[in-house]
Amino acid sequence: MNYVKELLDQIGLGGERLEMYFLSSAEGARFAEIATEMTERIRELGPNPLRNMEAKL
Amino acid sequence: MIIGEQKPLDEIKQMIAGYHKILILGCGTCVTVCFAGGEKEVGILASSLRMATALDAPPLSPPTLGGRKGGKEFIEATVQRQCEYEYNEEVADLVREADAVLSLACGIGVQTMNEQFPEKVTLPGLNTSFLGQPTEQGIWDERCQACGNCILDKTAGICPIARCSKSLLNGPCGGSKNGKCEIDPEVDCAWQLIYDRLQALGKLDLLTEIQPARDWSTSRDGGPRKIVREDLRL
Repeated sequence: MNYVKELLDQIGLGGERLEMYFLSSAEGARFAEIATEMTERIRELGPNPLRNMEAKL
Repeated sequence: MIIGEQKPLDEIKQMIAGYHKILILGCGTCVTVCFAGGEKEVGILASSLRMATALDAPPLSPPTLGGRKGGKEFIEATVQRQCEYEYNEEVADLVREADAVLSLACGIGVQTMNEQFPEKVTLPGLNTSFLGQPTEQGIWDERCQACGNCILDKTAGICPIARCSKSLLNGPCGGSKNGKCEIDPEVDCAWQLIYDRLQALGKLDLLTEIQPARDWSTSRDGGPRKIVREDLRL
C-alpha cells in the first residue's frame, strides 16, 4: 500500500487517491462511512487528470 | 547476486526527456530476484512513466496513454541475462525501433547494451548497489566486494573485507562493542561473528595466525580486472 501510494505521488496522480481498509462483512455502517469519506476526498481532489487528457483527444 | 535499486522516477524522467520511443529492458537474472529490474518491474515502470510523462507534457500537445500521437511511447521487454550478447540479440529489432533504451539491468547489463548497440543510447534505470544476499524478505545485505583473493577459509566463512567497516584482516578493532560496529549499533561486528563461529567450530586457533599486509592488486587497486581462460577460448 505504502509503495503504491508513493508511486502515485511520484507519477503525479497523488497517493491520497488510494486507501485500504480492513473490515468485516458485519460492519455495514463503517463501510458506508468509509465510502462517504472517500467520495468526499476524491471530489475535493477532482477527477483523474489523465482521464481528462484522454477525453480531450 | 548483484543487488540493484530503481532510480527515483524524477531522475528517470529527466534521463529520457529527449527521447520519444523508449524500450524499457529488464533483466531476468539478479535484478529480477531482488525485485528491481525484472519483467514485473518493467511493467510497473512503463505504466508509471506513461502516466507521469502524459501529466508532464505541455498542454498544447496533449499526450496520451498507450503511446498515441503526442506522448512518449514505451515498449516493454525482458531478456534472460542482459550481460550477454546472445540474449540481447533477441531484442535487437526492438532496440532498432526505439530512440533509446532504458535498462533495468545492473551496470554490467547497461554497458553490454551500449557496446552491443553503439548506435543507440542505453540509459541506467537502476543504481547497482552491491553483491549481496537476501537475509530476510525485503532485506538485502552486502556479502562480497569481489576483491579477487578469497580468505573465507580463514575467517569462518564470514567476509571481513565486505562486512567489517574497516575491512580489517586482523580484527576486531576497538570500535567493536557488544557485538556491534561503532559505525552503527544495528551493524554486526564482522570480527565478532568470525570469533563466535570459529569458537563454535572449535577452530579459535586460526585467530592466532596473523594475516600479513594484503596484496590488493587482485582488487580494484590494479585497475579494471580481466580473466582470460585459454581453455575456453575459440
